[in-house]
Amino acid sequence: METERLIVLPGETIDPSLIPSHQKLPLRLGPGLRHIPPSDIVPTVAGQLITNPARNSMWIEYNSQRYIPSTSDLILATVTRATPDAYLCTLSPYTPPATLPTLSFEGATKKTRPILTPGALVYARVTLANRHMDPELECVSAATGKAEGLGPLAGPGCVFDVSLGFARRLLMARSREEGGVGVLEMLGGEEGAAGGGGLAFETAVGRNGRVWVGSESARTVVVVGRALQETDRAGLGIEGQRKLVKRLVREVR
Amino acid sequence: MPREAEPSLSERQFVLQALQENLRLDGRELDQYRPLELSFGDQYGVADVTFGRTRVLAKASAEVTVPYADRPLDGIFNIATELSPMASPAFEVNRPTETEILLSRLLEKTVRRSGALDTESLCLVAGQKCWSVRVDVHVLSHDGNLIDAACLAVVAALRHFRKPDTSIEGGVLTVYTAAEREAVPLSWLHSPFCVTWSFFGDEGETAVLDATRLEEQVRVASCTVSLNKHGEICQIAKLGGVPVDAVALLQCTAVALTKVKEFSELVDKKLAEDVKKRDKGGFMAELSAENER
Amino acid sequence: MPLDTSAYNLALLRVDGRRWNELRRVHAQIRTQAAADGSSYLEMGHTKVMCVVTGPSEPGPRRGGAGAGGGGGSGGKDAEVAVSIVIAGFSSVDRKRHGKGDKRTLELQSTVSNALSASLHTHLFPHSQINISLHVLSQDGSLLAALINAATLACVDAGIPMTDYVAACTAGSTSTYAANDEAADPLLDLNHQEEQELPGLTVATLGNSDRVAVLVCESRVQVGRLEGMLAVGVDGCKQMREILDRVVREKGQRMIQEGTVERGVGLNDMDVD
Repeated sequence: METERLIVLPGETIDPSLIPSHQKLPLRLGPGLRHIPPSDIVPTVAGQLITNPARNSMWIEYNSQRYIPSTSDLILATVTRATPDAYLCTLSPYTPPATLPTLSFEGATKKTRPILTPGALVYARVTLANRHMDPELECVSAATGKAEGLGPLAGPGCVFDVSLGFARRLLMARSREEGGVGVLEMLGGEEGAAGGGGLAFETAVGRNGRVWVGSESARTVVVVGRALQETDRAGLGIEGQRKLVKRLVREVR
Repeated sequence: MPREAEPSLSERQFVLQALQENLRLDGRELDQYRPLELSFGDQYGVADVTFGRTRVLAKASAEVTVPYADRPLDGIFNIATELSPMASPAFEVNRPTETEILLSRLLEKTVRRSGALDTESLCLVAGQKCWSVRVDVHVLSHDGNLIDAACLAVVAALRHFRKPDTSIEGGVLTVYTAAEREAVPLSWLHSPFCVTWSFFGDEGETAVLDATRLEEQVRVASCTVSLNKHGEICQIAKLGGVPVDAVALLQCTAVALTKVKEFSELVDKKLAEDVKKRDKGGFMAELSAENER
Repeated sequence: MPLDTSAYNLALLRVDGRRWNELRRVHAQIRTQAAADGSSYLEMGHTKVMCVVTGPSEPGPRRGGAGAGGGGGSGGKDAEVAVSIVIAGFSSVDRKRHGKGDKRTLELQSTVSNALSASLHTHLFPHSQINISLHVLSQDGSLLAALINAATLACVDAGIPMTDYVAACTAGSTSTYAANDEAADPLLDLNHQEEQELPGLTVATLGNSDRVAVLVCESRVQVGRLEGMLAVGVDGCKQMREILDRVVREKGQRMIQEGTVERGVGLNDMDVD
């Protein structure tokens, strides 16, 4: 578990005492760190240094503008074009397209495969992220053959853009404790309970900074989207989020 | 060639569906502008306008040149628009897009052709010397409705601008620095403002003010009306798009007039505030030996 | 050259002898160019425009002109309507050459393109391009209106499916912007001289409806004047639509007589409205 909240700048030397030293596991470096042999570890981006002694890993948490795909990221992609064996999708503007093979959907065979029109949204996982090739996506888990929540996003809903760091915080297993984001819980929570909005909606958070909010009621989608964007832009803490949710929910009624 | 991301189908459908329920993605009313900010720079003639996440900066400047041969009694007045990659990667330097051409034509028609600035007052010596006033419009951030923001910035910058005072004695033209003589404002006749309506739906039945980037990508037609607070139309441009009922267009113009009056008041108020801020007790304060530092 | 507007008040006749609600002589022809998919020639008074349509065809190599595109639609799903306008150097009094990058011409191009692509069924021709090239031979006011009318006729000739005619004309008002006189009359179809002196606007409507596809006003005018001008303009568009429709029908009948079109098929189609 992380212990320190330390901000590092590119090129800074990291205090050796901060580097986790585990008996058996090799040290794992995450994004934003570079190993210069023999023993120097140098940050390459500005951000918060996070170390995890239990897994003997360390990485830098930072909020960048541009999404760079990396393997096993969950992302929200827009189909732009269909080719015979793959769909070409956009992850973010002005980046090369990602390919989504038509067979990597749950239960897809050569004869039965989902037909996606240009402009359709898919929730997918990055399988190949290589700096020299276009990224590849899948909508099915290779291990189980099940969709596991991935696939085309139909139904009424809208996409909202958030910053990459915020999307990562939303995706954390315990986003409230670790990421400090509780808006979704609050909005969806029981009415009357601690600031619960009592709204019914579903979300799909993409690491590429896009969040899909789906609900039968357009009003709910708008409220959830605004709550997410305002929390992100104003950098609200848990208390601020509670106030925001209260205000927005009151506006709906 | 990587390009701009088009809004996905579900975004398109949702924007339209929400608009049918009189809802917008940012929770505004259909005829409500985003929070509008106007600030002036330290220099005269710099105006910075923000509509939500759209930001436009305009700077007015003047120099003495030779007037055009066919208009010896008029000064020169130009508006230069620049949509640089700063606002969106879709814009390239030195290759004007359709957006940029339409924007610069609209500003030209609204401010220049409507005679907002008295160009005759810019003439110094007929046929020989005149002021050339130029406004440079820089779009710093593009989140829709560039036209209204740019027009407001241009008008505010020109009204804030002061050009050096001049005198002619015995055929000798003298341009005074600000220390010698107070700079003088331009001879301004009326303040036109643009109001852009965006239309949605199969027959353009839903009209929306101050569209965001996403809404602009989804709309089927738009109509820009330029008016001044006296109720004079300076320009109307509905350049194609889905046909809209004539009566609806007339209503849009009427609503636009109320918005223009609000803009007009805002600019007046901000200019007055700016004058107050600059006036630090007049001549005596200037002579004071004390330094700020 | 100040226009002598006092004469209007006396006889209610305009400089060229028309009354307030009269169009100028409109003469139009379709299928003037044998090589083109569709072509037309249109005169509104002394404003003379030719139009040639090619397509829908595969989009050719992109030309440098940035403003040429327009209401294409998303991602090649719809046909793109590419308009190019050439204004001949001899077309107006001042013999000025208009360069390719003239912003006014680019604006006209984009207006014609956007106006037509809303009426043409571009979704039937994905990944293709409809090229409309317009040549202005002579200018005497109402240029944009003439361009739109000529382009509509040429598209009809090219057989591109469309919702209805996009017919355009101009309207003006006898008052100047400053004068708030109530007696001012609206005027229909301005010529060059009137366009210079009086406030005016260009209207294009879709077919016989009151729905306005294009509305361009480039002069200062009191907001109260707008309603009258717009009403007269929309009415003028309806007249213009009748004229365009007659041109198409006459040409169709002549083609049947000449035997270029088979009788049975053609005649039935002609009578169905």
